[in-house]
Amino acid sequence: MSGFMQIHDPLKPKGHAVGIDLGTTHSLVASVIQGKPTCLPVEENGGLLLASVVHYAKEGGVLVGQKARARAAEHPTDTIVSVKRFMGKSPSDPQTRKLGAYRFVDDSQSVVRFEVSGGSPVTPMEVAGEILRALKRSAEAHFAGKVEQAVITVPAYFDDAQRQATKDAGRLAGLEVLRLLNEPTAAALAYGLDKGSQGTFAVYDLGGGTFDVSILKLVEGVFQVMSTGGDSALGGDDFDRAIAERALPHFGINAPTPTQVHELLWASRQAKEALTGADEVALTAFGQSMPLVRADFETWIAPYLQKTGAVCRRALKDAQVESSELDGVILVGGATRTPAVRRFVATLFGREPLGDIDPDQVVALGAAVQADLLTNVERQDEVLLLDVIPLSLGLETMGGIVEKVIPRNSGIPIGAGQVFTTFKDGQTAIDVHVVQGERELVADCRSLARFQLSGIPPLPAGMARVEVRFQVDADGILAVSAQEQSTGVTQAISVKPSHGLSEEEIEQMLVDSIDHAEDDIALRQLREQQVEAERVLTDTQKQLAAYPALVDAAEKAQLEADMAHVRALAEGNDSHAIKAALLVLDERTKPFVERVMNQAMQQALAGHSVEEY
Amino acid sequence: MTCWNCHTDTQGALFCPACGKITQAPRGETAFDVFGLPPSPTLDANALEARFRELSLKLHPDRFAQAPAKERLLSLERTTTLNESFRTLKDPVKRAFYLLKLKGVDLDREDPGAQRPLPLEFLEEVMTLRESLDALDEQKDLAGAQKMADEVGQRRKDALAAGCAALEKDDVETAARELSKVRYFARFLEEVEAMEEEALA
Repeated sequence: MSGFMQIHDPLKPKGHAVGIDLGTTHSLVASVIQGKPTCLPVEENGGLLLASVVHYAKEGGVLVGQKARARAAEHPTDTIVSVKRFMGKSPSDPQTRKLGAYRFVDDSQSVVRFEVSGGSPVTPMEVAGEILRALKRSAEAHFAGKVEQAVITVPAYFDDAQRQATKDAGRLAGLEVLRLLNEPTAAALAYGLDKGSQGTFAVYDLGGGTFDVSILKLVEGVFQVMSTGGDSALGGDDFDRAIAERALPHFGINAPTPTQVHELLWASRQAKEALTGADEVALTAFGQSMPLVRADFETWIAPYLQKTGAVCRRALKDAQVESSELDGVILVGGATRTPAVRRFVATLFGREPLGDIDPDQVVALGAAVQADLLTNVERQDEVLLLDVIPLSLGLETMGGIVEKVIPRNSGIPIGAGQVFTTFKDGQTAIDVHVVQGERELVADCRSLARFQLSGIPPLPAGMARVEVRFQVDADGILAVSAQEQSTGVTQAISVKPSHGLSEEEIEQMLVDSIDHAEDDIALRQLREQQVEAERVLTDTQKQLAAYPALVDAAEKAQLEADMAHVRALAEGNDSHAIKAALLVLDERTKPFVERVMNQAMQQALAGHSVEEY
Repeated sequence: MTCWNCHTDTQGALFCPACGKITQAPRGETAFDVFGLPPSPTLDANALEARFRELSLKLHPDRFAQAPAKERLLSLERTTTLNESFRTLKDPVKRAFYLLKLKGVDLDREDPGAQRPLPLEFLEEVMTLRESLDALDEQKDLAGAQKMADEVGQRRKDALAAGCAALEKDDVETAARELSKVRYFARFLEEVEAMEEEALA
C-alpha cells in the first residue's frame, strides 16, 4: 500500500520539513525559514548545488557530490552520474546500456543493478537514496535537528514507474515523502506565493536533459494545473552537442574517441555559457582554438527551440487557453539563461518572461513552500495545489488497441472504470494489460502491468461484464483493480515499481504520438471494424444455424451473399468499406432477428407467469 | 448517514456536525449531488468551477497530510469522486451523456441493447462526410478540414441542443437519438484534431 495509509502519531516530532529538487546534474534542498523559502548549503564550501554524483569506494564508504565527481575519471564504473536517467527503468531496455560506462549485473531480475566496489550491487533507487540521504544530513546539520519529511520534485513527464522509484528512494533515505511534486508546478508555486499573483501562467522548464511545460491557473489561493507537456530527451545538453558537431571538422577530427568527445563537450559548454554575455567567444580544446559567433550558435539551436514551441502550443490547446490570455510566463532550468531561449519564449507567448528567481533554485524553493503548506497548520488555508496526470492511462483491448481510461491532464487524485465484456461463449478469464502513453497501439505505449481476472462464470459471449478500475493518487501513482459485475469476483494489483520508460522511450513515444496520430487512427479503425465484422459474422451464422425454420430460401441466399461480401472486405484494409457492408448486413438481418427474438420470448415465457419476471 | 467516528447523524454534510470529522460519501451519489446541483443538462460553467475550487479546498488530501489514516483515505475517496464529477460536468457533451445514463440509457455501452437506431440517411450522410475528410487528409488540406470541422461542430452543437432540450422535457428517446448523432459528429471532430496535431509537428 502506498504512503497514504501510514499512521501518524501527532505526538512524535517530525523535525523540519524540506523540499528537494532531485536533479539529473545537481540536487538541492530548501526549507521555509521564518516565512521565507531558502536553499540550504550542501557542499563543504557552502555551495547550494550538490552534484548528483555517487562514488562507491573500494574500502566500503560512499561519497556524494563534488568529492564523488573528483573520483569519476579514475573510477568510472564505481562512480554513478546522472542516476535520474535510470530511475524506474528495465535492464532489458536497450537504452539503459547506452547511458554510461557502468558494469551491470546480468540476472533475471527486472531492476537495473550497477556492479560497484565495496559491497553488493546497487539499484538506481539506492543510488538516488544516497543523494537524498546526503541532502537530509546537510539539512539536519543546518538546523541542528531532525529532518524526516520531504516533498521531492519529479519531471512532469515522469511515468508511474519513475515516480514509484523516486518515492521509494526517499524512503530508503529515511524520509517520509509527503508528496511528489511536478517540477514546473513547484516553480510556479515559488513565484505565485512571493508575488501573491492571480491569473493564468505558463512555466517553460528547459533543464540539462529534459523539457517540461505547464499551464497553471491561480484563483483565490487554488493553484490549478490546466495542462502539462514535455519532451524528456531535449535540453541544454543538445546545445552543447550542436556546437561540438560543428567544431569536430574544424579541429580536423573525423572519428573522435570517447575522451575527445568528453573534452569537446565540456569546452562547448564553457563556450555556450560565455556566449550569454558576449557576441563572440573562442572555443578552446585540444590546445587549439576556434572562434564562435553568437548568431551562428543561435541558428544551430533554432530547431530545438521550434520543437519546444510545438509542445507549448499543444499544452495551450489542452488547457483551452490562448497565449494572449496568459498573465505571466515563468522560466525554469539552467538552459533558459541562453538569451536566444528567452527571446524565443517571449515571441512564443507574446510577453517578456519572468526570470527573477534563480532558475537553478526555483524548483527546490517551490518544493519547500509545498512542504511547509503540508506540515504547517497555520498555513493550511493559504494555498492549495491541484495537479494533473501527464500521460494517458489505458487498457489493451482486442487487436492490440489501447482503450484510454484516464486521458492525460486529468486532475488527480482520480479514478475511472471501464467495463469489458467476454468475447467468446463460456470464457472464464480475461487478461488485463495496463499501459501508459498517447499512442493508439499497445506496442507503442509503456507497459505498466499485466494480470488475469479469473473465475468469471461461463456465460454466452458479451454477457459477463468486468469493470476494471484505475485509481491515481495525489502523487500520480496508480493502483488497479478489476471486478466481475454479476458475481463480484475482485482482483486488486498494485503496479510494481520495477519498470519505467527510458528518457529516450518517452521522447520517442511523444514524437511518435504527434507524427503517427494519423496512421494510428486509421489502423485502429480498421482493427475495430475487423473485430466487429468477425463478431457479426459469427453471430449471424449461429442464429441462422439455430433457427433454420425462421428464414426462407431467398432471404437466406441474400444474407449469405451479404456475409460473403463482409468477409471478403474484412480481409482487406478499407475500414469504411467494411463498415458500409456491415450496415447493409445489419439492415437485411433485422426482420430475421426480430422473428428469432419473438420466438425466444414466447418459449421463455411458456409455462411461467408474468409475475415471475 | 451515520458518522464513522461519533455515530451521530451527519445529515449528508461533508463534515460531521457533531465531531467535525470528514464524512463518508453517501451511496449512489451522482456527479450532480457532489456539487449540490439539480440534475440538468445546462449549468453555469463559472459557478461550477468556483464550487469545484471551494470543495477542493475542503476535501483535498493536502488538507489531511498530517491527519490519521482513516481521514486521509476518506479525503482521497472524496477528492477522487470530486475530480471525476468535475471532469464529467464541465464538458457539455459528457454532461448530457451522463444525464442520459442517469435516465437509464447508457450510450457508451457497446452492446446492441444500448445503441439507438439512426435513420439510414443520417448514417449515409456521416459516411459521405468521412469520405470527404479522407480526401482532404490525403491532400493535406488542413484549411479545408478545419472548414468542415466548423460546419460539423455547428451540427454537433445543434444536435446537442436538441438532445439537451429533450432531456429537460424528460423525453429520453428523443434525447438518446440526438445524442447518438452527437457521438458521430464528435468522432469526426476527433479525426480533424488528429490532423491538426500532425500539422503542428
